[in-house]
Amino acid sequence: MRISLFVLLLLAVALPASAGDVHGKVVCKGARDCADAVVYLSAPPGKTFPAPKEHAKIDQKNLMFTPHVLPVLVGATVDFLNSDTVLHNVFTPDACADKFNLGTWPQGESKSYTFKKECSAVLLCKVHPEMEAYVVALPTPHFAAAQADGTYRIADVPDGSYTAKVWHPKLKTSGKPVTVSGATEANFEIAK
Amino acid sequence: MVDSSKRALFVVFGVIAGYSLIGGGARTANAVPAFSRKYHTSCQTCHAIFPKLNPFGQAFRLNGYRLPNETDEQIKQIPVSLGSEAYEKLWPAMVYPSTLPGNVPVALNVKMADLYQSSQEDTGRQIVKNDFQLPQEVNVFAAGTLGKHVSFFSELTFAERPDGGSDVEIEHARLDFISAFGPDHLFNFRVGKMALNVWDGFQEMWIMTNNGVDTLFAFNPIGFSGGTGLADSGGGVSLPARARAIEMYGVAAHRLFYTLGVDSPIAVGPGGPLGSFASSNKKDVYARVDYKFGGMGLDGDTTGVTLPPENWRETSLRVGVFGYSGGGPGIDFPVTSPDGQEFNQQDVSYRRAGVYGSVYWGDLNVFGVALHGKDRLRLFDPATATALSTRNTTYDSWFLQADYVIAPPFQVSARYEQLRAADPAVPLLKTFNANFSFLAYANIKLMLEYNRDLQNSLNYSIAGVLRAAF
Repeated sequence: MRISLFVLLLLAVALPASAGDVHGKVVCKGARDCADAVVYLSAPPGKTFPAPKEHAKIDQKNLMFTPHVLPVLVGATVDFLNSDTVLHNVFTPDACADKFNLGTWPQGESKSYTFKKECSAVLLCKVHPEMEAYVVALPTPHFAAAQADGTYRIADVPDGSYTAKVWHPKLKTSGKPVTVSGATEANFEIAK
Repeated sequence: MVDSSKRALFVVFGVIAGYSLIGGGARTANAVPAFSRKYHTSCQTCHAIFPKLNPFGQAFRLNGYRLPNETDEQIKQIPVSLGSEAYEKLWPAMVYPSTLPGNVPVALNVKMADLYQSSQEDTGRQIVKNDFQLPQEVNVFAAGTLGKHVSFFSELTFAERPDGGSDVEIEHARLDFISAFGPDHLFNFRVGKMALNVWDGFQEMWIMTNNGVDTLFAFNPIGFSGGTGLADSGGGVSLPARARAIEMYGVAAHRLFYTLGVDSPIAVGPGGPLGSFASSNKKDVYARVDYKFGGMGLDGDTTGVTLPPENWRETSLRVGVFGYSGGGPGIDFPVTSPDGQEFNQQDVSYRRAGVYGSVYWGDLNVFGVALHGKDRLRLFDPATATALSTRNTTYDSWFLQADYVIAPPFQVSARYEQLRAADPAVPLLKTFNANFSFLAYANIKLMLEYNRDLQNSLNYSIAGVLRAAF
């Protein structure tokens, strides 16, 4: 009996405040699909999140960046791997990412950049002008890339009030207040 | 005098017949299945019956072959990127981005005809020909878009000659720069060989008949006493059906259309005595403005307009005026006086002015043009190149055409054309043209067409035509 009470007490201390998820569907009017949309929640006032230790990765393979859109938490470092047999370059013209240019490197090597500010940075390759990708550096870890059909799910979101926003490289960003309480549905429609 | 009139009439109709027979007057096909492939849509999205464009097709063309308010998802053949759109922000440090069509944007039109023709010689003898023109012509198109602001349209036509060979002509090869700056649709530019926008609405893509409006586009103003008939090889023409030009055009407030352009002189085009566009240092200029009341906007705008689902129907009126001016000093055309003396003649200056109107009322589309032409013809001694005399001549031509959609596969058309030639000895040319078109499939049509010289019952032609676009 004593052991059971102890376990229950431990669980109560160990478990965070009640958490749910935010899920729903994004309709991307004017885009071929929603595969490039990112849904994210704004940070509660005063709340900051430590930079993730693990690096995110974008691969350059078959003359394409993969993934095409990568959402990360501010402070995240992204490794850019060249898996092709040809030289690749990564640079961005966006000031929020210091307009970085990582130079050129061969197959099997990677170079890194840390996204220190909120930013949506387009990544380009000077060697292959058709290549493009986006890193979206966000203020919270509560984000999800939408599926091509627009469905998304942000897991492990503490209950509370947020502003949910949708970013898309070709469509206007849209947002609305969301009160998370357990499993919460939020649907969006974005357009040009 | 009677003989002279009869002879002139024979010449006029004979040239019309010759035009049809050898394909010299064959009009471009302009049904471009490359767009069907790009959007996975039917020909009938843009054509009432190809090549005649419906109001949506006209807007598609003026938008540089883009759908009004086009979105990525409407394009089924994903374009090949020649640079991320992000490079727009980097210009001029980097090359401005563009795209290529997802597939090779080539399409073919094939036209077969059985042409039965009757004409009367000046001796009174009737000549009857029945010619299997199988094929009459093959058109190779390449058309599409390059990035956000550029489109292209090319057409190579192989017209089969009676001897089995074929004449090849680049009928179109042009680049359009769409919404180059300023508001959408307002400032567009075209450069290349093209059907000038000054004839927008009553030429080429809008004519569903086999015969073109020859009295408007093929009158030859050159002649000892003024022009007598349609242009044959070696003559000038009334209006250039196609020209090498640089043109600005646009649509303002959805309904006001304008175009301004400069092109090579009409008197020295292909078939002219010097055989080259480049044989004159002069350039012609042209302009047009018109307005559309009701129906779909010229840029495809439908704000506040209720349109029926039958996309060939609307209730609208489009009216406009146009002008063309230029000259061909230094360009000699050989002419012969009535007593057989040979001279050179130059069309030192010419002016054309016209009005255009088109009414859509349900299944009926009635449209027409009235054109007035003035030419300043100078006669030269061919041996000494001395100017002998200068003569101012005028001519008038007009046509009225009614197209009616019985049902989408069945359409009829009737057209009356009239030409008062510059030579006072030449009687009025009056032509009637009737057409029945059957759209067997969206991209295959059959036509039966009757064309008759109303001044002489022995001058007529009947054409059975099969056309396919793929």
